[in-house]
Amino acid sequence: MLSLTVATLLCFIALPIISLFVRVSPVTLWTRLGQPVVRQALWLSLGTSAAATLLVVLFGLPVAYVLATREFRGKRVIQTLVEIPIVLPPTVAGVGLLLAFGRAGLAGGALKAVGIELPFTTLAVVVAQLFVATPFFISSATAGLAAVERRYTDAAATLGATPAFGFIRVLLPLALPSVLAGAAMSWARALGEFGATITFAGNLPGRTQTMPLAVYAALQNDLAAAVALSVLLVILSFSILLGLRFAPWGAAVGGAPARPRRR
Amino acid sequence: MPRSEGLLLDLAVAKRFGEFALELEAAVAENETLVVVGESGAGKSTLLRLVAGLERPDRGRIAVGGRIYFDSATGTDRPPWQRRTGYVAQDHALFPHLTVFENVAFGLRAARRSPVDVIARVTEALARLEVGDLAERRPGEISGGQAQRVALARAVVLDPAILLLDEPLAALDVRTRAQVRGVLKTVLGTLPTPCATLFVTHDPFEAMVFGDRIAALENGRVTQVGPREELLAHPRSPYVAAFLGINMFRGRIVSRDGGIVRIRTGGEGNEGELSAVDPGPGGAEVIAVVHPREIALFRQAPGGSAQNTYVGAISELVPEPPNGERVRIALATRPPLVAEVTDRAVTQLGLHEGLEVTAIFKATGVTVFR
Repeated sequence: MLSLTVATLLCFIALPIISLFVRVSPVTLWTRLGQPVVRQALWLSLGTSAAATLLVVLFGLPVAYVLATREFRGKRVIQTLVEIPIVLPPTVAGVGLLLAFGRAGLAGGALKAVGIELPFTTLAVVVAQLFVATPFFISSATAGLAAVERRYTDAAATLGATPAFGFIRVLLPLALPSVLAGAAMSWARALGEFGATITFAGNLPGRTQTMPLAVYAALQNDLAAAVALSVLLVILSFSILLGLRFAPWGAAVGGAPARPRRR
Repeated sequence: MPRSEGLLLDLAVAKRFGEFALELEAAVAENETLVVVGESGAGKSTLLRLVAGLERPDRGRIAVGGRIYFDSATGTDRPPWQRRTGYVAQDHALFPHLTVFENVAFGLRAARRSPVDVIARVTEALARLEVGDLAERRPGEISGGQAQRVALARAVVLDPAILLLDEPLAALDVRTRAQVRGVLKTVLGTLPTPCATLFVTHDPFEAMVFGDRIAALENGRVTQVGPREELLAHPRSPYVAAFLGINMFRGRIVSRDGGIVRIRTGGEGNEGELSAVDPGPGGAEVIAVVHPREIALFRQAPGGSAQNTYVGAISELVPEPPNGERVRIALATRPPLVAEVTDRAVTQLGLHEGLEVTAIFKATGVTVFR
């Protein structure tokens, strides 16, 4: 009974992925990948998701550090707030972003004053990805930093390390597996972003049409192109997953820091 | 009392943890080791963490080497990284991702010492702790005893004003413990800069070997502090009496014969002789310890060739623990001994105060420290 359940679930997950690979011949796939629209979408996706991931780490790390090492009033509130994008339907996130940073949005006027107009630009794509991807990094990095045993940071402090020195030389290296796992998950989330992007940034080929959007667009008139893009996305996402599993820090995904390895 | 000009640690603090109130006073002189003994939960580790700055007192004052680390009156509170303390925890806490060399170099790098200086000092410190050949290993690849030496090197390389040792030998097995104890004793005796040591332990042997003075901590308070001989002679609480309730003698080796040494014990009321297994080359001054359970009691002297045979009257019988099934028996032998037997043996032998008995223990039952 149990094995049947497992088998059913495995089929349910594997079948759609297998279907993508058997539907269209490899030759057709290869020619479709050569199309400008596909290439544009690929580079746009890689560029924006990389930028979003970089920003996630840059802003997320200090937040994770504070959440992991300090006790203060309202910590729970902040933790909940930071995790909202996980449960928020992406389209709703897009509407929210539009109402906040759009031309008539709450912060739109201020942005316009400094010469920034976000909606329907490539930057808006990055903002949408940033919004939905941040929580994944923060929860993983916070867990990783909090899991570093107090005795190590205590030892660093008594050896004369300021908190900054201790963070760079002790805390971050020991939490690196979780921090990298968080970054990778954020990247995967950013790469697959659809709802918030199409709502906030639109679907403009070459500017805001990332791969998931291009898949959706191609589905209207060119199934082979849609499949080609999908296969490419599957391969990219799958490499992230495999990287997480089999990289030196792989065992620690979502968990405690791995035992450091010998060089 | 230590002379105030040589005073390195001067501490009087109070801190509450819920129901538990800690109220501590301690003074340690230059190049002096104050051993802090007490049961777990008495506040020993907290004392060290307070000095290191890892815990904050509610009120009081901590001064090390004339520098105020904490003073609730003036609001002074130096963070740990601005205190010159060498803190060594029981579990060594070596950074697992750094090599032994980088672990020891850590504090020097934090202080932005020049690379040449770092290499010279780390190499010297590792050699001093006899772990120079481990420099490129990771903490996961060395033994517990080696790790504890590296942790000591990591602390002493910074020339701390005060060493804070939290049961540094407790996690080691008996054999390793003896080795590291020897190295530690040498290191503490040869620190290049003025340094006081606070040494926390629950092991009476270590207290005797390291403690210039011993402080007993009970329920968050220092109940007795003084030279080890004073605590031995006049324990002021049942805990101190029980803690030091082992036969411990300072003495000197007067003769050697076939792997057995003869030790003449000294100190007021402790004069006598005993035989022990030869501890090997080294100084003649030793501390000899006989655990009370190593001593067998007889009403009539048995035949045979036990190396240590004493005859004397029973001066006291004390159940241990109170109302327990074992009895401590103090004997007016030379040197005076305390034996520990079961209450069944007391009944069978008909032991009572004033009765003359023969006490016997083997030379292998004597532990000799230098």
